[in-house]
Amino acid sequence: MSGISIVPARREQFVLGIIGTLVFLLVWETAARFDLINPVVVSNPTRIAAAFVSQLQSGEILADLKVSLIEFTAGFGLSLVVGIGLGIAMGLNRLTEYAVDPFVWFLYSSPLIAFYPLIIVWLGFGFATVVAITFLLSFVSVVVNTVAGVHGVDPQLVRAVRAFGGGRLDVIRKVILPAAVPLIIAGMRIGLGRALHGVVLGEMFSSNAGLGYRITFYAAHLRTADVFVPLVILVVIGLMINQLGNAVEARLQAWRA
Amino acid sequence: MSVVAQVPAGGGLTWQSLGRHRSARAVVGLTAVVLFLIGWQIVGAGEIIRSDLISYPSEVAETLMRMTASGELGGNALVSLQEFIQGFVPAIAIGIAAGTAFALSTRLHYLFDPLIVALNTSPIIAFVPIVVVWFGVGTQSKAIMVFLAAVIPIVINTMTGITQVHESWIRACRAFGASKSQVILKAILPGALPSVMVGVRLAVGRAVVGLIAAEMYVSVRGIGRLIQVYSTSERAAEIFVLVAVVASFGFLLVTLLRRIEGAIAPWSLEP
Repeated sequence: MSGISIVPARREQFVLGIIGTLVFLLVWETAARFDLINPVVVSNPTRIAAAFVSQLQSGEILADLKVSLIEFTAGFGLSLVVGIGLGIAMGLNRLTEYAVDPFVWFLYSSPLIAFYPLIIVWLGFGFATVVAITFLLSFVSVVVNTVAGVHGVDPQLVRAVRAFGGGRLDVIRKVILPAAVPLIIAGMRIGLGRALHGVVLGEMFSSNAGLGYRITFYAAHLRTADVFVPLVILVVIGLMINQLGNAVEARLQAWRA
Repeated sequence: MSVVAQVPAGGGLTWQSLGRHRSARAVVGLTAVVLFLIGWQIVGAGEIIRSDLISYPSEVAETLMRMTASGELGGNALVSLQEFIQGFVPAIAIGIAAGTAFALSTRLHYLFDPLIVALNTSPIIAFVPIVVVWFGVGTQSKAIMVFLAAVIPIVINTMTGITQVHESWIRACRAFGASKSQVILKAILPGALPSVMVGVRLAVGRAVVGLIAAEMYVSVRGIGRLIQVYSTSERAAEIFVLVAVVASFGFLLVTLLRRIEGAIAPWSLEP
């Protein structure tokens, strides 16, 4: 029964979603055509589409996309390595956890972008600074969730491995990591979103390449339609990350069931 | 080393014992922070690292006093606070209204779903330049950014809150002859409140970052404007003061919201 009803519901959601989006674009386009809004300042879908084509043809936007993706990968990769490592250390050792905790929460709750000029002085304008900002913004979610994952490990399993002569590394590899995976993935999901934020923030304030920089560049030249090209690409990347997260979580649910 | 170091005398790893060590957590955390501040003071004041880049705690404290006394901090904080309120209050009102409408009509929800998901998953900061082009460099564009950043988590959490209200509560109300408005007032709203408040608290963090980034991008007054001014002149002490002010504002607002929630809806604050 429920298996049958799911399909039409999803189709309805899909169709209505497309209708809603089309109506939105149509209203926007019509308002611009009839000068209800200023088409030069506000722009409209057809202008944006034209800007998309010309930016793709010049190849400019692809170069920016590449820069952003490399910075994103480097920053988030660093977050994973440091975040999972530190998270396991904190999860296993109470002293480490209590000592590091205040700093983690400071990083989480303060507007880190304010420090960008200081980071530029250390790491130079551009790539390294953007990677650092991306890392700083995203690694806390990985740390916090890894700690929670390690705390959730069944102590019986740890004792079992120890009883059969397993060492510290065996405990981490065979028990702690597998048991903590669901929460680590949940942390990665939040971290991915924050990393994308970090790339954009970093590029807006301390870079001369990438999608975030391109947005500020076009906005400063009042080329509104052009602003939307990198903006739409960023929205699509955000959606793709979200879809990926959904898919992984669905797999995980199936694997645990 | 770490595993061995914390195996208690009884043997085995007792993760559960963590909860019993609240005071240990506070003591160790505080010690670490104090040690960090002492180290920072030595490195900064001793010019081991250029102090204009990293400053040091006593300089930050002095700077805080000076900026407060001169009225520089208060005046700009007031501007930022006004922008925040102008964006956040409408975000709560419209967010709850829209979330309720979407929860009551699945069709309506599906129509707006792509827009909601897109706004929720994209880096909202990327909209700052376009919002400034549309609404100017003044306070209006900042209020719009606060609204955009805050409204989505409130919509989503209101929606989930209402759809997850226990069916049995509603049936119980009906059984005792409650009207439709009574069902909404007595069962649905109280049931959804905890989830709505989670959305509001989530919105605080996002709105603060959106506001500061927008002010840093371009503005006339406000805390973000000050950050940008001192940033370009590499004044680390002032930046630390301003960051601390912004972080404290977010923390205090979330704490206040929790208090209010606990007072008007004590059932909602589960540990």
